[in-house]
Amino acid sequence: MISVISVRRMAIALVALAAFTSAPLFAEAPDFKALLKAVDANGDFGTRDYSAVFTIVTQKPQEKDTVMQIKLFRRDERDQVVWIILKPDAQKGQGFLKVEDNIWMYDPESGKYSHSTMKEQIQNSKAKSSDLKRASYAEDYDIAAWEEGMLGKYPVYVLSLKAKNNEVSYPTLKLSVRTDKPLVLKEEDYSLSDRLMRTVLYPPKYIEVAGRTVYSQILIQDELNKGEKSQLTISDVSVANLPDATFSKAFLGQSSR
Amino acid sequence: MALASIALKNLRRQKKRSFLLGGAIAFGVLIVMIIDGFAGAFMQNVSENFANIAAGHIFVEGSEKSASGKTLSVIRDDTILMEVLKKTGIPAKYVSKRSTARGTLIFESKKTTVAIQGVDFSRESYLRERLILVQGSFDAMSDRQGLILSEPTARKLNAQIGDRLLFQLTTLTGQQNVGEMVLVAISPDNGLLSGFSSYANLSYMSELLDMGDGEYMNFGIYLPSLAGMDRYADEFYTELKTRANVKERKKSVEAGDSAASPMARFFGGDTDKETWSGVRYSVSTLNDLLSSVKQIVNVLNGVSLAVLLVLFLIIMVGILNTFRMTMYERIREIGTMRALGMQRPQVRNLFLLEALFLALAGAIVGIAAAALVMAILSAFNLGLNSPIFMLLRNGHLSFKVPVWQAVENIAIIAALTLLAALLPARSAARLEPAQALRTTK
Repeated sequence: MISVISVRRMAIALVALAAFTSAPLFAEAPDFKALLKAVDANGDFGTRDYSAVFTIVTQKPQEKDTVMQIKLFRRDERDQVVWIILKPDAQKGQGFLKVEDNIWMYDPESGKYSHSTMKEQIQNSKAKSSDLKRASYAEDYDIAAWEEGMLGKYPVYVLSLKAKNNEVSYPTLKLSVRTDKPLVLKEEDYSLSDRLMRTVLYPPKYIEVAGRTVYSQILIQDELNKGEKSQLTISDVSVANLPDATFSKAFLGQSSR
Repeated sequence: MALASIALKNLRRQKKRSFLLGGAIAFGVLIVMIIDGFAGAFMQNVSENFANIAAGHIFVEGSEKSASGKTLSVIRDDTILMEVLKKTGIPAKYVSKRSTARGTLIFESKKTTVAIQGVDFSRESYLRERLILVQGSFDAMSDRQGLILSEPTARKLNAQIGDRLLFQLTTLTGQQNVGEMVLVAISPDNGLLSGFSSYANLSYMSELLDMGDGEYMNFGIYLPSLAGMDRYADEFYTELKTRANVKERKKSVEAGDSAASPMARFFGGDTDKETWSGVRYSVSTLNDLLSSVKQIVNVLNGVSLAVLLVLFLIIMVGILNTFRMTMYERIREIGTMRALGMQRPQVRNLFLLEALFLALAGAIVGIAAAALVMAILSAFNLGLNSPIFMLLRNGHLSFKVPVWQAVENIAIIAALTLLAALLPARSAARLEPAQALRTTK
């Protein structure tokens, strides 16, 4: 069931997209703010449940490729996330349930659950809380410059974005967004010292789900550690309603069997 | 006096037995004294060496809350701190200002995680004296992007002097940043602390952390010695409290929260959940930071006491048996002395005096032997680049036994020996003269 909030979000996204596409392209600068809102809206499933399988292949020089596969279930409305590790075999069956600030971890070998909080996880890792927030191009960045260009056979707007605050991970981004659709093809993330840190490529292989265009593949290239790259493949995407029991500890145990 | 003379004569009469018993006591004392001596110097050495690494005995940290509630560790203006230092009259040898960033050093296809300390080398002249370099020189730190690494870190990266490395870090507020650094010097491997032996220029480190000019993370007061450290810190805290927002001084042991301990703050940032506006200072000392090290000293002291007790339990059994044997050997002699008018308490005291003299002689020889062993061990210079340099004093093993502790050990040994000899002494005193004289061995 689509709630009122969901309808409102979709309406905003459509208005933003309409505003962007109706702007005269050459007479004046297109409404890039609206474009960024449309890009953000495309990745926002609002009140809908979301599930998908993510396969991450990581390549490092002189090391064997590693493959990790997880099944993800998301209910953003209640800030609930479940992910089950499918690969590698050594971690198969490990499950995680995040409800707001709480995280439960399930270890299939011992059959035990352990609890921690997001704050603890952040404090015990190098992650920053901003890393865990969903990036919003429109809210967190200003458009500093733009130009038109081509990426492969696709005409794109190349937008230079500057962070509005100093708490987002990357102070500068360079986005290549398709001119015909609010879809990013390439993202370059720069450090505060303006050094390119990573390049994220979104090949034009999409999955259409509930009126949204979802990337089926993402390539992340580490520009500091040459030769290190990850390929993220998204499959089995669904926005069908998930049973409430999915977001429970018992589900973690059942899924590992 | 006569009894003492007889007791000494008896000990001399059975030279081999006295030598073995006294030797056992001396050996026990030797072991206990060395453990005590090591434990005694341990805390002082660790504290002094840590003060050199952390560049201070008293530390002040500034904390601010960002708009999103994140705790930022920064001192933007240290005027108040310098005023407080002047007002309190703390005899600071020097004041250190440092910013430490944890991140990843990258060179070609290799990388490693390090904590790099931003140091003002013109201010911290003492660091130049303490930090040994195996390659390169301090003068090269005039290069703003200069970097000093420890041998294991440089080896891990396969980096040589003059190589340009990338340092990936997050700024104070959590943004990604990358700096370029030039390896100008390499310090020797100093074990576990190699990870904390990376130095860069303070101004460049502060820039990478996205701090303004003159801003930094830690203010350290280096005192001439460890003496009076806590008193000076209390004076600084009290005076600072009259001028600024200061976090209540809470030592880690009292806090009972390892995550919020001064040590955790020093190495891993503040985990404080409170909120405040503006800057809030916190004052801590080496003693606060090293409270967990103090527990090691307590364990060492406990081990020393346990060794003392186990060793002397064994020695007590030996003394008990030896004195019982001695009593049977001297049974006719005791009978004669009793027949000549020696009273029971005198017979008992004769045995006890023999035990006491044995204990005292053993203890004195043990202390002398321990002093000799400790002097020999202290003479070896293991160097400031030794893997165990934190436990050393200027590269040497050092021992410290307070006089009261030596006296206490002698008293314990004397008491235990007397206790062991008491039973045979009383048995000897209870012997009837006629019966003793009739006894044949």
